[in-house]
Amino acid sequence: MPDYHGIIFAYNTSRQLGALVRQRTSSSLPFCCRYRLIDFPLSSLSNAGIHDVGVIMQRDYQSLLDHLGSGKEWDDSRRKGGLRMLPPFGLPEYHTGAYAGTMEALNAVASYIHSIPQSNLVLMRGYVAANIDIAAAVASHEASHLPITAICARNPAEPLNYQFLPEADGSSQRMVRSQSPEINGLWSLEAYIIRKDLLLSMMRTCQEDNKVHFHSDALFDYLRSGGRVNLYVHESYACVITSDENYFRANMDMLDAQSRASVFPPHLPLRTKIHEEVSTYYGETAKVQNCLIADGCRIEGELEHCLIFSGVHIEPQVRLQNCIVMRGAVIHGGAQLQNVVLDKYSEVSATTVLRGSDKFPFVLPKSSKI
Amino acid sequence: MAPSLRCMKKSCIAMILAGGQGSRLYALTRKVAKPSMPFGGKYRIIDFPLSNCANSGIDTVGVLTQYRPLRLNSYIGSGQAWDMDTSDGGVFILPPYVSSGETGSWFSGTANAIYQNIGFIEMYDPDDVLILSGDHVYKMDYSLMLREHREHKADCTIAVLQVSMEDAPRFGIMNLGADGCIAEFEEKPKHPKSDLASMGIYVFKWETLRKYLMEDEADPESQKDFGKNIIPKMLSGGARLWPYHFDGYWRDVGTITSLWDANMDMLSTELINLYDPDWPILSNWPPRPPQYIGPMASVTHSIVTEGCSIEGLVENSVLSDSTTVAPGAQVSYSVLMPGAVVEEGAVVEYAIIGENTVLHKGAHVGAPPDGTDAWGVATCGPDIEIHAGARVPAGAMIYSGQEV
Repeated sequence: MPDYHGIIFAYNTSRQLGALVRQRTSSSLPFCCRYRLIDFPLSSLSNAGIHDVGVIMQRDYQSLLDHLGSGKEWDDSRRKGGLRMLPPFGLPEYHTGAYAGTMEALNAVASYIHSIPQSNLVLMRGYVAANIDIAAAVASHEASHLPITAICARNPAEPLNYQFLPEADGSSQRMVRSQSPEINGLWSLEAYIIRKDLLLSMMRTCQEDNKVHFHSDALFDYLRSGGRVNLYVHESYACVITSDENYFRANMDMLDAQSRASVFPPHLPLRTKIHEEVSTYYGETAKVQNCLIADGCRIEGELEHCLIFSGVHIEPQVRLQNCIVMRGAVIHGGAQLQNVVLDKYSEVSATTVLRGSDKFPFVLPKSSKI
Repeated sequence: MAPSLRCMKKSCIAMILAGGQGSRLYALTRKVAKPSMPFGGKYRIIDFPLSNCANSGIDTVGVLTQYRPLRLNSYIGSGQAWDMDTSDGGVFILPPYVSSGETGSWFSGTANAIYQNIGFIEMYDPDDVLILSGDHVYKMDYSLMLREHREHKADCTIAVLQVSMEDAPRFGIMNLGADGCIAEFEEKPKHPKSDLASMGIYVFKWETLRKYLMEDEADPESQKDFGKNIIPKMLSGGARLWPYHFDGYWRDVGTITSLWDANMDMLSTELINLYDPDWPILSNWPPRPPQYIGPMASVTHSIVTEGCSIEGLVENSVLSDSTTVAPGAQVSYSVLMPGAVVEEGAVVEYAIIGENTVLHKGAHVGAPPDGTDAWGVATCGPDIEIHAGARVPAGAMIYSGQEV
């Protein structure tokens, strides 16, 4: 896809994710036993043949850098172009806070955007669990001859912030800021294909008018002045991860065969950094029901409805229900956990009994020992 | 050798003999060479020597292929999975080739395979050359062997393993002299004089090996084999051969039974610990989704790999990636290679199922040992379909082209 360039927004961290984002951005949240959320946009772009990708990051990006490396897992390690990390540069000196909005983030890396040789950009969020067929979206974008295409979900796992009201030809002139399903709109996945000249003019206007947001500033202005948006509908699973509740829910959704199949279609592989792991060993006392499990684990206890990341050791006589256990955690014999998220390398002692609810999962921060 | 082809000098490079046809594994190796056969859930057999090289600090490896090399070539790729995509070394696939003015030929023996690649070896001007086999399962630090080789100023150092006297007649046996050097080598002796078996792992001083390879090539009587020709000629020629004693896990997976046995060994960390972070065995698989274990499944004393979907019963088994065990299916004491499918109600016991082979509903492959000599592990080759309700008896070997 030579005339398209990817931009991934990985700068923001939703406060409602609590302890999960203490040391990482939303985009580097571990997902479904072996992935990070940013694998979704990176793989979507890579599967469409888009290998020139800029990742806009601002703070707490250590884990993100570690995960992305040279980008070779997504075939983005290139002699020319390829993956570019974009931490803030060229910001005015008084600017020390977080980016207030997408347009501000884009303006912070304006010189990079100007230097992009391609004439179209694909803008994506780093924290949306959806395996989007970008090649199909690009085809729809080109057929529409409109300067901007919004990638939308018909049935997202949870309500999203913006909806487009489609017209008969599949395009739209109206965007509504509402989470109400009664509007019957198509939900914006906050992924857009946009002509570079249009984006540059939006960036310039926002800079001049001191506006910072993409939707509520740039896009509303564009629609208000008679602009039209082509709509591409992503029909399969989509969840935008903004809180520990929907993080928990989206992971648990992967236990459902249909949702899992729509996130892992064979023709759109989800690519990720490869950790060297052996196969998982299930012991004589293992009792595992309805679980997703990564390689490199040692499972000897009872698990029901859980997601287990790699390198986890679950000893005999452990009982886990509705839990997410991240990489390298150890749970000692006798512990009983329900609706708990254990972050990486946490250790749970034998006598521990912990119980969260599915609305309020109990989150054990990274490397905690209880 | 033109100076322009010379690379950075290496003190030691490795040559892996990976041309093995594996005729006793026929159903499994009709389409792929033995070194690229899946093994132990996550691996192909060549991962073991390649990872040992990487962990031992050897960054230049020639892989000699000839039989069915396609899979091996695509699997090894740039060597990146073993961190061997370096600027002044790397993994090189070395197929037989024709020089101008020659008529082409296959490698006629293990020694001839190295002889044909003298040009490759000389590009690196090594002091020593490590000769490895691509079909052994073991973890070994070659740097320790190399150190001993140099300390004893040996022309050749051969890794040896102590075996039981009743097993000794199956191996090449080394008899040591009073000075600790190898005094005599006997290939599969009926009446062994010692219990030290050659593991087929050699370090040669390159200068010496080069001389013997040239001489052996000129000998029309020679079978061009390391064990049968080169080693005996070195012994009679007065070269210094040193035994390197190894006492870890080592398996030659040349038969169905030994392949099945070695896979079952992977269920225990006591025989060979693959979880050791200091000596990882590296492999090259594209990432797959996590393994799914369904609500009615039972998985015990087994290893299972990513991409699998298990809804039936699995016990005492080794499952490679992307295998499917449907509800009501049973897999016990068996090895499922990547992509194998066991449909509803099918039973697999004491069997090896090849890559992408499908066992349709109610098929039954293999049987538990019954104490008779006729019993054996049942084998289904890759890419075949076993019809619904079909019965594959113990010890049978099924491959494509046969109707079952």
